[in-house]
Amino acid sequence: MSLAFAIVVGLAMGAAFGFALEKSRVFEPGMIVGQMQFRNFIMLKVFLTAVATGAAVLAVLHGFGVVKLHPKAAIYGADILGGLLLGAGIALAGACPGTVLAQIGVGYRDAIATIVGGLGGAVAYSYAEPMLAKTWLFAGPGKITLASVLKAPYWSLALGMAVLLVAVLVWLENRRPWRKELGAQVDGNLPAERH
Amino acid sequence: MVSPKDKAWSPYVAGVLIGLLQIPAFMLIDTALGASSSYVTIGGLIASAVDSSVVDIPYVAKHVAATGKNWWQVALVVGVAVGAFASMKMSGAARHPISPIWWKALGTNSPHVRYAVAFLAGFLMLFGARLADGCTSGHGLSGTAQLAIGSIVAVAAMFAGGIATALLVLKRI
Repeated sequence: MSLAFAIVVGLAMGAAFGFALEKSRVFEPGMIVGQMQFRNFIMLKVFLTAVATGAAVLAVLHGFGVVKLHPKAAIYGADILGGLLLGAGIALAGACPGTVLAQIGVGYRDAIATIVGGLGGAVAYSYAEPMLAKTWLFAGPGKITLASVLKAPYWSLALGMAVLLVAVLVWLENRRPWRKELGAQVDGNLPAERH
Repeated sequence: MVSPKDKAWSPYVAGVLIGLLQIPAFMLIDTALGASSSYVTIGGLIASAVDSSVVDIPYVAKHVAATGKNWWQVALVVGVAVGAFASMKMSGAARHPISPIWWKALGTNSPHVRYAVAFLAGFLMLFGARLADGCTSGHGLSGTAQLAIGSIVAVAAMFAGGIATALLVLKRI
């Protein structure tokens, strides 16, 4: 794989990713904070649909031996502590490390501060990594998956999870139709809740 | 019907499109969709201008190396900005410089407060993502789709941290 090829593929994939993020409105701070405060569920809908789709296509590609999987190692202490910090950052940023670039694309000015902070956080972690890597945070059983733990073929469990997620989404959509969660400016800024 | 001129698409249409991006990621680049490593690539290069010894840290050296995977991901996040810009231009969606939800969530109309909170948020987000070895894309979209146990744990922690912060630190939007 040449560097130029990887960059062209990355730009094309990123453009499709950014287009879908903008159209789904999930890049809006109102959708991220709204999800975490249970005001709207657009983020969960986009996220679970993308996971179900990814699981279904990987079940087929891996089932037919076309691709290798790349699960990350389970490092419970780092997964939990890092996940909590990341989640706190997501709520305060109103974005994820990827969707903040979509905010840049549409011209949100505070997204520049988020990205500068993010580069600072990544550099700070880089300096701390040699020390942190030796701690209990990084102890774990390696690259385990539900398929390796349950000793079942990946494709069957992945398809099963995709079906389960679709059922959850149908239920969620029945309770919370997505069109009513967008707000007048399609930014997740909904009128104050009536009590 | 779904048109590029729409202001909003169904979250299910957009979600399927995002999920399908795993096909080129695995087939062309032999990797899973992710975003947060690119911050180490770019941050590491910027830091090396000030402190050239930073590239002696193996973690940094691995991320700044001129490999396809490293620069594919940098190109991916740059592409996200381009794609979002194109979508906004096609739909003509009007945008404030800062989302109006922040004035409710932060309880102040000061842009300076918002910039400070956004900087802190970005720092926490990337420190946390690198500690957990993945973000909402790498663990959330890709790790859970591959049924990785560590990713499922990390995603549960992300939502726990996000919900606790949104309910305890921010005001209701």
